[in-house]
Amino acid sequence: MNNSIIYVVDDDASICKALSLLLKSNGFKVETFTSAEEFLAFKHPKIQSCLILDIRLPNINGFALQEIMAQRGIITPVIFITGHGDIPMSVKAMKAGAIDFLPKPFTEKKLLEAITLALSKSKVQNKQQAEIEKIKQRMDTLSPRELEVFHYVAQGLLNKNIASKRGTSLQTIKVHRGRVMQKMQAKTVTELIGFAKKVGFSTTPV
Amino acid sequence: MKIKTRGNLEEQIRQGADREKLGADREKQGANREKLAEEQIQVRTKAMESTFDGIFIIDAKKPNFPIIYANPSFYSLTGYSRNEVIGKNYFLLYGLDDNSRIYEEIKKTLRQGKSFHGEMLNFKKNGEKFWSLLRITLVRDKNGITTHYVGNKTDTTLMRQRDLEIAEQREELLHVTRVGKLAEFVSSLAHEISQPLTAILSYAQAAQRTLKDREPQVQEILQFIVNDDQRAAEVIRRLRSLLKKNKPTFEPLDINVIINDTVRLIMPHITAGNKIVKLDLDTSLPYFQGDRIQLQQVILNLISNSLEAMESSEDSHELIIKTSRKGKEMIMVEVKDSGCGIPEENMKKLFAHFFTSKPDGLGMGLSISRSIVEAHGGHLEAKNNPDQGATFYFTIPVNLKNDL
Repeated sequence: MNNSIIYVVDDDASICKALSLLLKSNGFKVETFTSAEEFLAFKHPKIQSCLILDIRLPNINGFALQEIMAQRGIITPVIFITGHGDIPMSVKAMKAGAIDFLPKPFTEKKLLEAITLALSKSKVQNKQQAEIEKIKQRMDTLSPRELEVFHYVAQGLLNKNIASKRGTSLQTIKVHRGRVMQKMQAKTVTELIGFAKKVGFSTTPV
Repeated sequence: MKIKTRGNLEEQIRQGADREKLGADREKQGANREKLAEEQIQVRTKAMESTFDGIFIIDAKKPNFPIIYANPSFYSLTGYSRNEVIGKNYFLLYGLDDNSRIYEEIKKTLRQGKSFHGEMLNFKKNGEKFWSLLRITLVRDKNGITTHYVGNKTDTTLMRQRDLEIAEQREELLHVTRVGKLAEFVSSLAHEISQPLTAILSYAQAAQRTLKDREPQVQEILQFIVNDDQRAAEVIRRLRSLLKKNKPTFEPLDINVIINDTVRLIMPHITAGNKIVKLDLDTSLPYFQGDRIQLQQVILNLISNSLEAMESSEDSHELIIKTSRKGKEMIMVEVKDSGCGIPEENMKKLFAHFFTSKPDGLGMGLSISRSIVEAHGGHLEAKNNPDQGATFYFTIPVNLKNDL
């Protein structure tokens, strides 16, 4: 809990203040914002976090903010809160990947349950994110030719197929491939393909 | 005709022959006239026999005022046969029913020497009810004495029924509008109240957390606050679920039909205000999926707003409703008035809940209209016209994407 942060975005300043007090009394670190723009302007530390987000906001509403966050790579689980609790809205929220949808007013218990769930998801997300970044860093060390070989290997091509595709000797491919394995720190080909999948590299045969 | 005498015999003879000819001519003329009169009577009788209105004639000189003539329409209208009508008193035909007051009224009017005009509920011979418009006029002789009464009876049942249907539709629409307004009002109110309730609940629970095991008395008070906050929340939840019931029903609709129906419903309002509505409808528009009553509500709301905007001004009286195609995917509806227009400072707040520029307005009409249009996947906007008045316009997609 020490190394986590709860964001609250609600245009009602009183709600921001009340939630901030409530969460702080529960030992959380809290940042509140009264608009989506303010939240987006904030520099998000890479720690466990979740966002308590009001759906009705001026200019950019909660759903729109969720989309913008996805585009900008701001990854944090969202708990929607709203004073207009209707079912279609909650379905939309859940479909968009929200942790929960809490109609106002909600109890501390409900909120804390949702936060616990959100933070554990955030932990997994952060871990995945860190791994992806590590893989990407390793990929950056590959030469263009090695990257190409990595691509083919990820698609399950055999060395001789790669050689005929590239128009080079089998021996050259073996050397490239060895370097790819080494630079990517992959012990097996399966692991290498796993890396490719994680960074969203195409793994389907051409 | 005077015939001059002259000395000339020849002349006399000629004149005599002429006289004879003249006499023959006169005879012929008389016969012609008779024939003509007969023809005229025939035509008039036929006309009377073929008209849809029931016509009857009462002999006013006989003591019991018997019916001496009735046309076929009268028989088919009342269900009585000739034998049951001719020679009978008109009022006896209907026996004694709750309409006797009207009959007294008719008798009184006729006795005063005035003609009668009125609509009433009648019964056919078989007891079937029908509405009729009755007019009785007096026929007088040279001395001004009433000799006959001529009655003219028109069946107005269908017209009545149509009027009744229109009134019912209007009532239904008004009811839905009232319920809709109430629902939107409660929903907005619920939102406004749930905000502070959320804050109060969180403040109280934060205080409980902060105090932990200290101050048991204050803890208890805080718990009371939490409990009552949740009680208020429960009231709001129940109110909301109560109003969730009227869900929109989507069906294929023709926007022009909706506009025509709505205009017909509020025509009395329009004509009473001395205004005119011009329809400029694109008849080639496709059908779209929508809720008929809800969209009628939107159009009704826009029309009544426009009428109100034109109320104060004498020279503005024209309202134009236009439908058109906007691109492939959209239908556009415009309601253009020549009223007072919208002050610039109100433009932004126009569609907000509780915003109104009318002294007795709730400020719900436009915000409901906008949420209805948006629920149909469209947009409702307003603008001032370059010359005079304002235009409210909205779009509706032809193919509503099922987003939810």
